Amino acid sequence: MMMAAIAARICGCLMTVLCLSSAAWATSYQASTPQVKASLVASHATVSPGLSMVLAVKLEIAPHWHTYWRNPGDSGTVTTIDWKFSQPVTAGEIAWPLPERFRMGPIVNYGYANQVTLPTPISLPADLALGKRLHVEAVVDWLVCKEECIPQQVTLALDLPVVPAAQHTQPTTVAQLQPVPVANFPVHLVKQANGLQLLLDSPALKQSVVEDVWFYPYEWGRIAQSQPQRLSQTEAGIALALTAGDQPLQTGQALHGVLVVKRKQGQATSVIAYTLSPKLSAAVKPLQPSPDSPAPEVEGLGWALFLAFAGGLVLNLMPCVFPVLSMKALSMISHAQLTRRALRTQGWIYTFGVVLSFVLLALLLLALKAGGAEIGWGFQFQSPWFVCLMAYVMFAVGLSLSGVFDIGVSVTGVGSDLADQPGLWGSFFTGVLATVVATPCTAPFMAAALGFALTRPAPELLLIFVSLGLGLAFPYLLLTYWPRLQRLLPKPGVWMEYTKQLFAFPMYGASLWLVWVLAQQQGPLAVGLSLSGLLLIAFAAWVYAISRATTVTKRWLATVTISIALLAALWLVTRLSAAPTSTAAASHTTTNTWQPYSAEKLQQLLAEGKPVFLNFTAAWCISCLVNEKVALSQPAVQQIFQQQGITYLKGDWTNKDAAITQVLTQFGRSGVPLYVFYPAGQPAQPVVLPQILTPAIVLSHIQPSSSFHSSF
Amino acid sequence: MQIKQFFTCALFIVMASSVSLAAHAEVTIDQPAPVFTANTAEGGKFNLESLKGKTVVLEWTNHECPFVKKHYESGNIPQLQKEALTKNIAWVQIISSAPGKQGYVSGAEAIKLNDARSAKPAYVVLDADGKVGQMYGAQTSPHIFIVDAKGVLVYKGGIDDIATAKKEDLVKANNYVREAWAALADGKKVPHASTKPYGCSIKYAS
Repeated sequence: MMMAAIAARICGCLMTVLCLSSAAWATSYQASTPQVKASLVASHATVSPGLSMVLAVKLEIAPHWHTYWRNPGDSGTVTTIDWKFSQPVTAGEIAWPLPERFRMGPIVNYGYANQVTLPTPISLPADLALGKRLHVEAVVDWLVCKEECIPQQVTLALDLPVVPAAQHTQPTTVAQLQPVPVANFPVHLVKQANGLQLLLDSPALKQSVVEDVWFYPYEWGRIAQSQPQRLSQTEAGIALALTAGDQPLQTGQALHGVLVVKRKQGQATSVIAYTLSPKLSAAVKPLQPSPDSPAPEVEGLGWALFLAFAGGLVLNLMPCVFPVLSMKALSMISHAQLTRRALRTQGWIYTFGVVLSFVLLALLLLALKAGGAEIGWGFQFQSPWFVCLMAYVMFAVGLSLSGVFDIGVSVTGVGSDLADQPGLWGSFFTGVLATVVATPCTAPFMAAALGFALTRPAPELLLIFVSLGLGLAFPYLLLTYWPRLQRLLPKPGVWMEYTKQLFAFPMYGASLWLVWVLAQQQGPLAVGLSLSGLLLIAFAAWVYAISRATTVTKRWLATVTISIALLAALWLVTRLSAAPTSTAAASHTTTNTWQPYSAEKLQQLLAEGKPVFLNFTAAWCISCLVNEKVALSQPAVQQIFQQQGITYLKGDWTNKDAAITQVLTQFGRSGVPLYVFYPAGQPAQPVVLPQILTPAIVLSHIQPSSSFHSSF
Repeated sequence: MQIKQFFTCALFIVMASSVSLAAHAEVTIDQPAPVFTANTAEGGKFNLESLKGKTVVLEWTNHECPFVKKHYESGNIPQLQKEALTKNIAWVQIISSAPGKQGYVSGAEAIKLNDARSAKPAYVVLDADGKVGQMYGAQTSPHIFIVDAKGVLVYKGGIDDIATAKKEDLVKANNYVREAWAALADGKKVPHASTKPYGCSIKYAS
């Protein structure tokens, strides 16, 4: 023992491994098994009262074998050290070095190969007896695995002379704590379609320089360890897509762990690591043990912005938007005499109108979300007030197109110049109108982008909505910038007036449909109220039209009359109850081909191993209704449903329904339609259908199930 | 509407570009356990569906794994298997080790091993291609799954709560299988329905 201490000093090296070979202590600082050589090392060759030191267990592991980290992963066992001291001493927890991951088939483990040193902080008491030796014993348990696993245990021991503080040697680097720094950049954790999105807002972490990145969780079950952690670039840094495990996080709970990043720096690779503890954002629902949904995934903000833009473009073709835009195109033809600059101004004002409306919508959405409301896209149509006002607007636009009255929106700008105010206001309000009428049409691209948007912080949500608005406004803006495209438009003429009048009818149709939606939401009384409102609006429009060419006094009289009529129409709106009374499901049950959805019913059917087709719909969702008409209620489809014993469940989202919103969230959607098929006996493998259906699409998703089922 | 065809056409183009991804297999608590048929050590067929009406315990095993040895040599699992027999619970031993890997046995060897260990599983399922193991996402030996009489998965995870290969830890451990059985007998929810499985990794073919 003394020899060892002297030897250490003679060498001049700070080798502090103290050999204990005296008869009193049979154990050594070293022990070996065929796979692992273990040794106990101390940070100090001698110790003193009150010293904070480190004791470390070094494991030298045979090639191809490994031991485990604090979270061993899918199998394996954590290495443990049981400390015993000859005097009362407190040992801390192992400060784990960065692990590696080992993959064997479908199983992923976290641990160490070749060599690892496990340091433990030790606090010596102030009353440590001087002159005596401090005897340290460590019972070390590990599991070492190659393909097969062997649990092993060794006992290691050390004797450390206790000397006054002034006399003990300097610490060595052999046994050292190497704490992993806490992330010095914002880290967020949000729920995503299939699990969790870990957002690492550090500009230093660019996807292009990251060679490998892995998040090692401290706890089992928070994430599925064997699933890939998909990396994507975000504006602020990078994002990792994690899959939820068997014990998913609840909102507000933190995901503790270590992020290890291998970065390329020229030829060299450097490893940096951070400890993270992001809390699962309260803005989103916790991930229920949900069926894994094959919803289209959105990776990162850039992609979401692109999808939103594309969705906005597609919106131009929607039946509710198209008339408004054609109107705009018509008005542009009439503006053909304008200078190019004036035209562009029109285009930008229109774009401004669209984008501003989308921003307002996004702010409203955020306000409602902050209030804790369970909402999704198209939420505004769940309010009967909104539906009724929309019916009014559509009807008024129709009247204007029919020529009952002229407002800025119509073709008043013929021959006008840049200073013509109605023309500019017309462009602005066309933009607003286009947005308002576009909202119920959720294009397939937008579903994914908006689902993503709803899980993001406010600034990103706003950006996504702006992108959506730009997409909607883009074709028209393009027309104003590209005179060649304008030449493709037909020459102005009388046909313009007729076309304009023709487009009035889709608007009346839309108004009619909204009244029908109201009937679904609130029953016959609502129909009476809204139709009376439409009558008042027609009356007001007529008064407005005839009063324009009269004297000032008469015009005043007209204004008063119009105001009274419009106020009365608005008063009728307020007579509708704000909270919708659900009558939709009941009133639908005229045919027996489907049953109303409830979570219990679905569970029960799945438990019985029955195949189930889910349809989440709403009366105000046009594509839902079209799909039902052209695909789901077709005899060919219904026949197959019957033959295969498929239960057809329909969930009605016409009115607010938190339970359905939650199911939509589980499948990464923020709105209807959603079609899901659960094959017989495979409740964990639901198939999500596209948002536009034909009988062929439905059948192709339903048929393969039978062949798949028999493959086991 | 005159433009309907136009927009339907446009949407089909859009839709064609959004491809549905296939869901990956995963068993979920409170969902029906996936049914399967497989060969037994006796040379017959095992069919999970035919056991409806009975509680079923699926136990993944590998006789050479130290964690499995802990539970067999101590008599812990054989005792559970005997209790299962008296309670009319079907205990199914499943061996997913691939040929040439640790724990792979022929049917005859599996039966001999069970006799030597006084093990009394109701069924011994041979799953050398790992199909059943991967269907259930079995990761360790042992790894336990419990299916109730209605065919619903009510438990998945470890055999108990002390993840070691030491026999002396058995007395301190909370046995999750017994806990689940007690809850099922009382018609209650299994208190710890999903726990961390521990043991050796399953020696799958790939």
